[in-house]
Amino acid sequence: MTEKILNIDMLSKSFSGLQVVEEVSFDITKGSRTALIGPNGAGKTTVFNLISGIYTVDDGRITLDGINITDMPERQRVNCGVSRSFQNIRLMPHLSAIENVMLGQHSRARSVGHLMFPLGWVPGNRWARRAAEALGEAGLDTHAGEVVANLPYGVQKRIEVVRALMPEPKVLMLDEPAAGLNEKETEELQVLLEKASAQGVTLLVVEHDMQFVRNLCDHVVVLNFGKKIFEGAPSVVNRDAAVREAYLGTDYVDAA
Amino acid sequence: MSGYWAGILAILCFNIVVAYSVFLPAASGQLNLGAAGFVAIGAYTSGYLSTDVGLAMWLTIPLAALFTGAVAFLMSFPILRTRGVYMVLATFAFAEIVQGVYINLEVFGAAAGYPVDAYAGLGVIAPVALGVVVVSFFIMSTRFGLSMRAVHDDERVAALFGVNVRMTQVTAFTLGGLVAGIGGAIWAHQFNYVEIQNFNVMLSIFVLLYVLIGGTQTAFGPLVGALFFTLVPEVLRVSNDWRFVFFGVIIVMMMVVRPEGIVTRTMTERVTALLTFRRGNAAKP
Amino acid sequence: MLILQQLISGLMIGGIYVMVAVAFTLTIGMLNFLNFTIPALFMLAGMSAWGLTTLGVHWAAALLGGVVIATLASLIVERFTYRYMRVRYGDATEHALPLVSSLGFLIVFEHLVLIALGSDPQRFPTPFTSSDIHIGPLIIGIPQLVSLFLSLVIVYGLSQMLKHSRVGRALRSIAENPDASTLMGVNVNYIVPVVFIITGVMAGLAGMLFTVNYGDVSAYMGDNVATKAIAGMVIGGLGNIWGAIAGGLIVGLTEVMAIHFFGADIVKIPIWGLLLLILVIRPTGLFGHTTIGKGKF
Repeated sequence: MTEKILNIDMLSKSFSGLQVVEEVSFDITKGSRTALIGPNGAGKTTVFNLISGIYTVDDGRITLDGINITDMPERQRVNCGVSRSFQNIRLMPHLSAIENVMLGQHSRARSVGHLMFPLGWVPGNRWARRAAEALGEAGLDTHAGEVVANLPYGVQKRIEVVRALMPEPKVLMLDEPAAGLNEKETEELQVLLEKASAQGVTLLVVEHDMQFVRNLCDHVVVLNFGKKIFEGAPSVVNRDAAVREAYLGTDYVDAA
Repeated sequence: MSGYWAGILAILCFNIVVAYSVFLPAASGQLNLGAAGFVAIGAYTSGYLSTDVGLAMWLTIPLAALFTGAVAFLMSFPILRTRGVYMVLATFAFAEIVQGVYINLEVFGAAAGYPVDAYAGLGVIAPVALGVVVVSFFIMSTRFGLSMRAVHDDERVAALFGVNVRMTQVTAFTLGGLVAGIGGAIWAHQFNYVEIQNFNVMLSIFVLLYVLIGGTQTAFGPLVGALFFTLVPEVLRVSNDWRFVFFGVIIVMMMVVRPEGIVTRTMTERVTALLTFRRGNAAKP
Repeated sequence: MLILQQLISGLMIGGIYVMVAVAFTLTIGMLNFLNFTIPALFMLAGMSAWGLTTLGVHWAAALLGGVVIATLASLIVERFTYRYMRVRYGDATEHALPLVSSLGFLIVFEHLVLIALGSDPQRFPTPFTSSDIHIGPLIIGIPQLVSLFLSLVIVYGLSQMLKHSRVGRALRSIAENPDASTLMGVNVNYIVPVVFIITGVMAGLAGMLFTVNYGDVSAYMGDNVATKAIAGMVIGGLGNIWGAIAGGLIVGLTEVMAIHFFGADIVKIPIWGLLLLILVIRPTGLFGHTTIGKGKF
């Protein structure tokens, strides 16, 4: 399947004169699992924010499944099929785990009837059941009713991923989903993401954990100082000179 | 029921209604220090419809609510452009403007006040208050209520999941105005007299306190807050001034030890878990 | 000529509003905190000064005592309000916490005074009964002139202190970035009380000057000043000290002129309507200068 689901074309963004993303272009194939990596400050989260619509694009185009979403208001982008998690956990702290997950369903609630349905009064309603199932698949259903502010970091991080899956997105963007997770939690996250991928969700993941990237992803895009410096298979990424220079510095490149 | 306690209950119903009028916007993240302004509009409108137009209460109350809601809808456009302390000041400014307007309107009796014909006893007031409580609980239980609370916690992320933040905020603010209008109508028909001096800064402050002390995270909060502030002085039976000193101290201590308010989401969750566990469901331990 | 006389009265009362407005704006700019206790501190200074004179204390010492009491009260507020503000998620209603505390203190102080000293307005035995200068047909009260001068000097001194002294620099750095300041070695726990001391002194001095000039004190004297001072703060822009000076004077002038032409009550509408417009369209105030601390909230 070589159909492209996400096209990033000459994307540029600067803040107060500092060029944070510079003419970045890459395409994501439908069903693939791509990692977006690079040293800190390379512009990876900014690219995510441009795709989400949190930042407006200075230059360039973003096309999602054939639709140009470059200037689309952020609220509507989820309806086009893009969903995400965040580098710093951004769950609603005063809501319970299952309520956070149900927020993810919001874009699926099309009518006023759906909007005004008393979710809290009808136990076992289909929205709550689906949300509970999703949490169960991630092994988190024991925490369903708890207020997320009281939950441990690793649990919150994974709830964010579950929430991001609820809109049934075409492209799922995850910003450092494994950061701060222990080995067991990282494994469970990988299982969850592989399940999603098997169901047709295209993954785009920002990560620093290279082992995680190698286990999960089939494609890597490398950014440095806002520019794309490499794109290819995970197995060859650490042999590329530009990538080594970005991570290790010039002196070390030749020593390899 | 003695006349004295009937009076207290009527005040309690009023306090409950106006507490919910501030709670609904507060649950969406909007701080309203101008409740008195909306309540005044409701009171004068229902009073006017009763005395000068001669409508019966089952018409004056809803019409007053609708009118106040309409004013709130219009005011939401400028006011929702502000945030935080600016919004507190903007709503405060609104209430001052309302005071200024009514104190100068001869048709409403200006500073002398305005008499209201129809009388509403507990038989009217209590069901109305109950209705407000039930509807508020309903709203908070819906997906719309969920989106309100999501907007309160994190506007940006709520938008990313498809929530129409603007619509949610305008609706919450308008609903607040509508309910405040009901509160004003209750006041007008209970006391049969409307004086703008009653709808002052202290009223706005106290209503906001009912909500913030009771808790903004769940629909139980304003109920508990209104109950607390209405009934505790009766239990204490001290002089008026010492009563307020006591309140002030409680308020300060609450912000120190339990700033989220008396009723929090965590508390309702634990209570629910306790109850469902007792019924034998496989809840978490 | 009558207009000019009114203008002068407006400036005089405006001078007092300036000090209270500066107290408000300083707390907002430095600490993100709309401190509703400030009018109570103003009232405490005036009422305790009067209370002290009934105990036989000399009027000058009583006035000073009033300012001291106001400052101490301010420190009590700091101890139980700001110290405990832990902004965990920074969401809308949590920012209200110190505001709510300050409302609690407002209620406590006002009612304690009502209990101790009663609700009747009192007359402070001001020693300056008729020392006026006459410039043509205009009458300018010397104590009022001194107050206006004093309040401007104090506020100027404050702004210089903020700009040039070590404490001032520490305060401004906390306003910009509390976390970085702690890392830089600024002891937040010692510096923040300084803001409250300044607040207490400013509000107390304003109360003292009001008492000396106008003589009438009551448990409710804070309420009137509160709305005027807040108006002055908004006009000048939240966090802007020079703006608060201009704002306070403008409010004083507007109040006197409006009462003269239209009568007291109708004044509310245009003043608060203007404020609402400013808050919505131009929250940095009419003068739009940079404020202390970044745009908060």
